[in-house]
Amino acid sequence: MPAVIFDQVAAAVERDDSPQPKILLDAVNLRLEEARVGVIGANGSGKSTLLRLVNGLIQPTTGTVTVDGDDTVRAVRKVRRNVGFVFTDPLSQLVMPTGREDVELSLRRSVRNGAERRAQAGAALERLGLLPLADQSIYELSGGERQLMALAAVLAVDPKVLVLDEPSTLLDLRNRELLRRTLAGLDQQIIMSTHDLDLAMDMDRVLVIEQGRVAFDGNPADAVAAYRSWCLEGLSAPGQGAPAQNATGQDPR
Amino acid sequence: MRGHGFLLANYVPGDSVLHRSPLGLKFLLVFACGLASFIIVDWRISAAMLVVLCGLFLLTGAGVKRLWRAVRPLAVVLLVIGVFQWLQLGAPTAARIVLNILVCIVAASLLTATTPVQRLLDGVVKAAGPFRRLGADPERFALTIGIMLRSIPYIAGTFSDVRDSARARGLERNPRALVLPVFITSVAFARQTGEALAARGLGEAED
Repeated sequence: MPAVIFDQVAAAVERDDSPQPKILLDAVNLRLEEARVGVIGANGSGKSTLLRLVNGLIQPTTGTVTVDGDDTVRAVRKVRRNVGFVFTDPLSQLVMPTGREDVELSLRRSVRNGAERRAQAGAALERLGLLPLADQSIYELSGGERQLMALAAVLAVDPKVLVLDEPSTLLDLRNRELLRRTLAGLDQQIIMSTHDLDLAMDMDRVLVIEQGRVAFDGNPADAVAAYRSWCLEGLSAPGQGAPAQNATGQDPR
Repeated sequence: MRGHGFLLANYVPGDSVLHRSPLGLKFLLVFACGLASFIIVDWRISAAMLVVLCGLFLLTGAGVKRLWRAVRPLAVVLLVIGVFQWLQLGAPTAARIVLNILVCIVAASLLTATTPVQRLLDGVVKAAGPFRRLGADPERFALTIGIMLRSIPYIAGTFSDVRDSARARGLERNPRALVLPVFITSVAFARQTGEALAARGLGEAED
């Protein structure tokens, strides 16, 4: 697996209302070599920032991020060829009217011949079982089908690393399971943020991000347990929004 | 998000004469129809052209429904234009203007219904080839056309969603409640699309 290395990485954005920049991520040192890496954390904790740094969509304010030895700032084009990115909402990712056309768009740079490009796009769709849906308008597809279509468009160029930003957030149970099985069958290194703790349990290693820092880094069971305890801390105080309980008075979780 | 209100018809696989016609010829047809809309002064000629083009469209096997779906999103706008022109310049001029717009839409739909988008983009790349000498990137031309084709239904769908939500709040007569959310959503969509293209390495200068 290619190594994704964060060396003293910080990321920040300017604020209109304050001279101090807003810190999105701070003092991150990581070496990610596992086949499946999960990233969990609360909304706004810095998960998406961490993932965008891997593809070069965000540049670090300080420090460096390298993918398989390539710096995401100095060699951003090469990094983007090697790192596929799947967004939460496939509608903002699919830029062509049909899935087949979108997969062909991914291949335009690398495959000049139209017939060959069409054949390769067909093969990429076939691999994910999407060929019957290839010529349908993306608006006629279900959320799960769209997400798989976006995945097919990214996988068509055979990236070494696949980064997914909360890919199951908009999916129902069935489509989430479909996505989970599809991801399990891929050869690529996967780095994925998610709020789906079952999906996080499938990973080899899980990072918990809290207020722009890596608060926990370890095996999935321990990471999920740590995240649960932090998230629910304080919620059970009387009159302060106690967690839902079932009919027997026990926490259904 | 609905996104079905597409101004032009999507590609329909087929083996009609128009499907087999060279892309350049179809481009010329659209261009000629656009040009004719400036030249023609008699509404009867416009009407005859529209009938011929509709006939050609139906010959492709795309069907009446697709033809209607291509025209429907503009029906209200055409009605407003027609009434306004009728009051200002009289019935013949109003009819000519509305019919000429319809001629352009049906001609463009003929092109998109009988040509796969990728072939269309290949054609754009070929046509823009000579501009390479001036430092232009023909692939970017093609990408722009592709994104335009994709963005029209998105924005139309956004308008439908915003209109429904304005209705639900009793604000259907408030133009600000309709225009502002569509504008903001469209800008957000443009930013997201740009980010998605960057993540895929599309739209960058050629190596």
